[in-house]
Amino acid sequence: MRNKILIFFIIGLIIYVIDIGFNSDNNLNEIYISDSELTNLLLTWKSQVGREPTAIEATNIINNLVEEEILYREALKLGLDNEDRIIKRRLAQKITFLKQETLLKQPSDEVLRSFYNLNKNKYFVQPLYSFTHLYFSKGPDSKKRADKALKELIQNKTPNNSDPFLLGKEFYKNSTDEIIRNFGKSFENVFNKLILDQWSGPYESSYGHHLIFLNSRKDGFNPDWIEIKNQVLNDYFLQSKEDAIKKYLEEIKSEYKVVIDPNFKY
Amino acid sequence: MKSSKSFIGLIVVSTIFFIYASGVYKNLQSDSALEVVDFSIDGAKTDPASIKSNLDRSPYYGDLHVHTKYSFDAYVFGTTNSPHDAYRYATGEGITHPLGYEMKLKEPLDFYAVTDHGFYLGMVENYADTSSKQSKQPWSKPFHNINRPENLIVESVGQRSDIFSSVLRQTILQPYPYWHPKTIKAWFTNNIQLALKSFDYEVHKSAWSDVARAAEEFNNPGKFTTFIGYEFTSSTLVEGGNLHRNVIFNSAKAPIRPWTRIDSLNPEHLWTWMDGLRDRGVDSLAMPHNSNGSNGQMFEGETFKGGPIDIEYASKRMRNEPVVEITQVKGTSDTHPMLSPDDEWADFGIMDYRVGSRPPTYSKTQGSYVRDAYLTGLTLEWKRQGNPYKFGLIGSSDTHTGAGSFDESNYWSKVSLLDGTAQGRGTVPLSDERIKLMKEYTKEYNQPLSLLETENGTYASVGFEQWGASGLAVAWAEKNTRDSIFKAFKRKETFATTGTRIAVRFFAGYDMQSINLNSESMVRDAYVKGVTMGSDLGEQENKIPEFIVWAQRDKNGAPLQRVQIIKGWIEKASGTPHEKVYDVACSDGLDVDPITNRCPDNGARVNINNCSISSNVGATELKSIWADPDFDSNTKAFYYVRVLENPTCRWSTWDAVKAGVKPRPNIHKTIQERAWTSPIWYIPKDDPLDIVPL
Repeated sequence: MRNKILIFFIIGLIIYVIDIGFNSDNNLNEIYISDSELTNLLLTWKSQVGREPTAIEATNIINNLVEEEILYREALKLGLDNEDRIIKRRLAQKITFLKQETLLKQPSDEVLRSFYNLNKNKYFVQPLYSFTHLYFSKGPDSKKRADKALKELIQNKTPNNSDPFLLGKEFYKNSTDEIIRNFGKSFENVFNKLILDQWSGPYESSYGHHLIFLNSRKDGFNPDWIEIKNQVLNDYFLQSKEDAIKKYLEEIKSEYKVVIDPNFKY
Repeated sequence: MKSSKSFIGLIVVSTIFFIYASGVYKNLQSDSALEVVDFSIDGAKTDPASIKSNLDRSPYYGDLHVHTKYSFDAYVFGTTNSPHDAYRYATGEGITHPLGYEMKLKEPLDFYAVTDHGFYLGMVENYADTSSKQSKQPWSKPFHNINRPENLIVESVGQRSDIFSSVLRQTILQPYPYWHPKTIKAWFTNNIQLALKSFDYEVHKSAWSDVARAAEEFNNPGKFTTFIGYEFTSSTLVEGGNLHRNVIFNSAKAPIRPWTRIDSLNPEHLWTWMDGLRDRGVDSLAMPHNSNGSNGQMFEGETFKGGPIDIEYASKRMRNEPVVEITQVKGTSDTHPMLSPDDEWADFGIMDYRVGSRPPTYSKTQGSYVRDAYLTGLTLEWKRQGNPYKFGLIGSSDTHTGAGSFDESNYWSKVSLLDGTAQGRGTVPLSDERIKLMKEYTKEYNQPLSLLETENGTYASVGFEQWGASGLAVAWAEKNTRDSIFKAFKRKETFATTGTRIAVRFFAGYDMQSINLNSESMVRDAYVKGVTMGSDLGEQENKIPEFIVWAQRDKNGAPLQRVQIIKGWIEKASGTPHEKVYDVACSDGLDVDPITNRCPDNGARVNINNCSISSNVGATELKSIWADPDFDSNTKAFYYVRVLENPTCRWSTWDAVKAGVKPRPNIHKTIQERAWTSPIWYIPKDDPLDIVPL
């Protein structure tokens, strides 16, 4: 009987020693990124975008790689032993951070208001413009025709040399985004300079030339936060989730040592 | 004792018989797929009714065919973008491709619908997550962690192709035994998938509600429209004829789960389900796509079961499928050079193998293209069987990355890791390592080796080279709201583009000559005096129909080259089909040759060494009033418009230019981006005018 216990004890000891031998990986917290891995990543980027990444873009690409690597290592660690208490806690943490949305506490109005104030720009309601335009379809004389029509308008005459525009003549409460959608990028900064109830132009788009009469302008404004509370709440949750991920990464990043060839040239 | 036992037995037997006979048994079944859920969310959204309508209607551009991580195949291809990411992309934000680069639109879209494969929605992601219940099952093994960052590499393509073409099938076909409670539940709720071991209904429903919630969160009346939707991914039992359609719902109310190929492969059963939902207040429509790869099955002369088409079938199909996707990443389905030998522009976007076939297998042309389908429809109607092919046209992308790829100069194709690099999609010669890799995995997974040796080097040749940076759905609607855009689809007042933002109006009527093409009231007058795309034009005695076409270029694209009207008709006496292409407006002040019906060459050229195009050639807009010179008032006909841009580099040439190599030989170097309108059908008087109710 005693002998048997002793044998088990010795076998156990052997297994323990072997286990230590195999699992003592000193380099677990060292991240090694090879030159070829970096080159590959940057080449993929280049072949898609068609130019070299800028220094900032390249840094971002590499940083993302490092962060992904860290998360991956952490995940590997979590998978090593399912009965470990620490890992159980980490798994619970992982679930929490994947399911933030449902578990997050409802913030107080105070918190929401200060969140709104911090991100005021995001909730700014763009100015809206209602206007009429005369269109001169693109051609060698379209600018000349537009100039002539403007002269007539100033003399209170009605010009009859304009063309119909496929999207129409009257535009009602268009934001700058909608104006860009309808006329192109060249119209982005036209409307903030226009004077009410007055014809001006010609302005050039890729369709030709335009004379514009601004009927009304509704200035941009910051809405009362209570009116858009739901939107603020959604954004708050989204932001909290991103912050949580960032914090999580920051916390574990310090445990890693990142090794990248200091002489790496791309 | 003995007699009372047999008495009880008799009672039991007769009760069972009574229950069975009286139909109570049948009534115990409930139909889970018809249960309606309200997915609407609270939010300070604009009331759609308060948005001003444009009575002349505006063109709204969108994509109704988008897959995300919830699609079984997209996840296998490496996609981790969610429906939320997809909608962010559509509104103009950049999102990330699995290979690490940014995908961003040049110009935001007006509407978007995430349409993941309904079948096994959300399940593959669940197998991959090693903390899920399903991941503990043996069949989940090949899926474990496939999309962890370290696995998102080109080297994994072989394994992914293997999962797609063989592992998935084995995973799915594992039913519980007949006596199993899940099988019984499947029967009682008319929900067959419950009887499959690899299926988890809770996971499925939660993925579906995430799809719906994303649509509701991003729907923003007046600015951006979304639809709750999914893809019904059916196919014929033999020869793998693709019968795929996308389904979208016109409300925040939608069924609790999508009706899928597990419920039935027969599209008629899909329409029955959609009719059932309509009775419960949920309107929807289904949009067939990739008819080009259907091996002639999408627009057949008979029903799914091989029976004759009748008027009831035709009206049911048209009630549920008013529009068809004519163009998308996996090719264009206007027509095929073999079907339309006299159409010089027919050889465009041809993808003539069956969808998903490995190795690529030829797809029969007849029954696979929309022009042919319109003719088949006329023929069926001529035979008094009704016209099931009186549909309008849209385009969409069918992207599996969450982000439609519409730009030739910045193209990432469709299936994530498989075709996300120029080498993978076969436009830049393969490096030696990748040739080795391809040889290894085709051997390991027993797949055909698809390499093409050329004078430029060795290319991957798995079929991606036939795909295209296409397309968009465009709706003429009063305003950018869900209801207004949905109604445009139902009236078929739509057109399709290959990704470009061409706009095109199309009207037909009598006395159209009296309308001044250069007056501001032209559109209003045309709506009053005529009909627009998607409509019928009746006969007026001794009068010839006149057509007004007005096309405007994409402000960020190439100028227009020509506008064409494509006519199809059948001989009244014999039912013989015919088609003809007429140029009706030419750029640069050129005139149509009345004998050939063609515009002269406008001289627009492309430099394929750097993709620059001729400047100062082409038109900003093209306008015309046209009367059919070959009109016969007794002949049924359809007319649709095709607008062509000046030629530009195809994406494959852009890939080569960016990599500094020669373009791959034997594929088109340039394309002409284009738009197609829904047809206008001419209906002679003595034919009973069978307008199919929508």
